[in-house]
Amino acid sequence: MVKIEIDEDACVGCGSCVEDCPNDVYEMDEAKNKTKVVNEDDCMACLSCHEICPAEAMEHKNIHVAKRLYIDRRISGILKKII
Amino acid sequence: MEYQIEREEKEVLGDFKPELIPDECGGGIDDYEEALHVLMKFVGSMSSALEQVSGRGANAIVYQAGKRMGHEAGKMVEKTDDLEKAMQELSEILGIEFFFDMWKPANQTGYTVENGNETVVKLIFRDCVVRQTLRRTGLPQKGPLCYLLYGEIVGAVEEVMGIKGKLDIDHVGPNACLKTLTIKWGGK
Ligand code: SF4
Ligand code: SF4
Repeated sequence: MVKIEIDEDACVGCGSCVEDCPNDVYEMDEAKNKTKVVNEDDCMACLSCHEICPAEAMEHKNIHVAKRLYIDRRISGILKKII
Repeated sequence: MEYQIEREEKEVLGDFKPELIPDECGGGIDDYEEALHVLMKFVGSMSSALEQVSGRGANAIVYQAGKRMGHEAGKMVEKTDDLEKAMQELSEILGIEFFFDMWKPANQTGYTVENGNETVVKLIFRDCVVRQTLRRTGLPQKGPLCYLLYGEIVGAVEEVMGIKGKLDIDHVGPNACLKTLTIKWGGK
């Protein structure tokens, strides 16, 4: 079962995750101006919310993590040395 | 002065006769990784060039290619008219390159939904070589290469169930993509 955790200190309340999630997993908590998880059971772990969140405020636990064969480890290694 | 190419890797030298069938591929895991990246870049740029030259026709060409692959894959699965069973078995056959499951919202009882003479099922693609390739090449998760996957699934379902199907995209994400498969009964 997916477990979603929101770092409320990091969330800037932009609402992008609410807009972007295809399964209405999030809702804005107007009082706090933060996102809140309201429909965790429908999360399909697409991680679109991770890609859109400017604050990297969420964490999905216990999900299938897709293979990331597209990461070129040689290039990443070179970049790590430069950055 | 003799011309010499400097290479990082040491060249493998051995004896080889035309009639010998090698029983090992040779090379280490790094060689495969490198080859995979070259292939991803190659396929990615071929796909965007195809789109540039043929416009939307590119999708149709790649869709047909995918369908052929799907029909081939579908031959490995026992014929059935049970969509859930077909999906389960195809998931096992295609499952390494395209790791997919049936998906439903929590409040829906079964995976399949009957809609007149159509049956609909949602498929979640968790691992997908197309997604890997598109992300490797910096291309958006749409366009001709995605049609390869649509074609493959539709071709496989048609082969296993002997009916017409279509696959529509619901959502694409970096970790999974959701699609809707619709099959039309009586649409042989
Ligand atoms: S992973 Fe996808 S389905 Fe889950 S909360 Fe994020 S956007 Fe919604
Ligand atoms: S996208 Fe991130 S910062 Fe914006 S509301 Fe959602 S969790 Fe908060």
